[in-house]
Amino acid sequence: MTLTRAGVLRRIDAAFPADPVVLTLGGTAREMVAVAGRRPNHLVNLDAMGQTVGVALGLALGLRGTRGGRVVAVEGDGSLLMGLSVLSTAGHLKPDNLVVLLLDNGVYLATGGQPTAAAGADLVAMALACGWAGAREVRTGEELTAALDWAREAAGPLLVRVFVGTEQIRTDYLLADPAILAEDFRRWLRAPTGGPADV
Amino acid sequence: MADEAERLAAIHTARSRAVIEGIESIDPDFVLHLASSTLGAVLAHFLAGPGARAGRTVFAMPREEEGVAVTCGLELAGRRPVMVFQDNGVGNLLTVLLTLPQAYHVPLYGVVARRGGLGEYNSMIHTVSERVEAILDAAGVRWFQLDARTPVEAWAPEIKRAWTYSRTTHRPVFTLVNLMGG
Repeated sequence: MTLTRAGVLRRIDAAFPADPVVLTLGGTAREMVAVAGRRPNHLVNLDAMGQTVGVALGLALGLRGTRGGRVVAVEGDGSLLMGLSVLSTAGHLKPDNLVVLLLDNGVYLATGGQPTAAAGADLVAMALACGWAGAREVRTGEELTAALDWAREAAGPLLVRVFVGTEQIRTDYLLADPAILAEDFRRWLRAPTGGPADV
Repeated sequence: MADEAERLAAIHTARSRAVIEGIESIDPDFVLHLASSTLGAVLAHFLAGPGARAGRTVFAMPREEEGVAVTCGLELAGRRPVMVFQDNGVGNLLTVLLTLPQAYHVPLYGVVARRGGLGEYNSMIHTVSERVEAILDAAGVRWFQLDARTPVEAWAPEIKRAWTYSRTTHRPVFTLVNLMGG
């Protein structure tokens, strides 16, 4: 049975309740808010398509050695392809706390479902060839459970390519002020415990 | 001709030293750079010279927009990054600059080498570089300029002040530096 994006997002939120999570734009961010609510450990990238993993990479480099845990990027296949060079940068710098969870539905869903070029691209092989510590594909719920356990424990950088369907849940537009989103996130990062991540 | 080349080389050396001093006064823990021949002396200082010190990470960005994203993440993490790149890459970073650090009120600082003016040796690069001030103005990006109008001994403190201004105003600020004699 094909995984749904909303279902996977719910699992990601549960797996990383006290780690910084950078969310890619469009339906991914809206669905995360719908299933998990506004969470201060979630930084929503509202419009900088292609740069979600770059932001997470900067956070991972900046937080390495100052706090435990992971920095998680939740990215889509279309957005990753727009900034694919970040695979080589992260592979070169090797932050062991970086996890990229790539939700691959094969289309630009927010703009009408035009196919991306990801279908024929072995993104796991690309990451490994760029020097990432680990990368794997996920197609089932059981594989997702194992991959999230692995992503919490194994030394990074790690990439998990999760194949999801194109179903969308009905959501409102996310009209939050980006300055407030950033400040909420910074305040959460500065908190001594780094959580809990409830608004 | 040889005298002119020597004069320009001396200017380049003095201004490069001033840029290095200015960046060092910020004491960045991360220096992100793009490919640039004009910035060669500056990059050499941070990659293999005295600026390549313990506790500082220096690395190349394949593209300016990725540099903005990574720098933005570093700033959110509370670090002190500085970007170093050429003005012909400004077009590459506008979308991410305006939709991420500018919109999210994240301070971000970059030293941007000018190209395309007096002393330029590339027959094409002026087509973008001569328009960079207008492009940044149209985008609402704050910038300062260091060239022959500013005594070179004032460059380093001006660079530090521009970095401070990016913190004060919670937004990206660039210092455009002319290392080529203009």
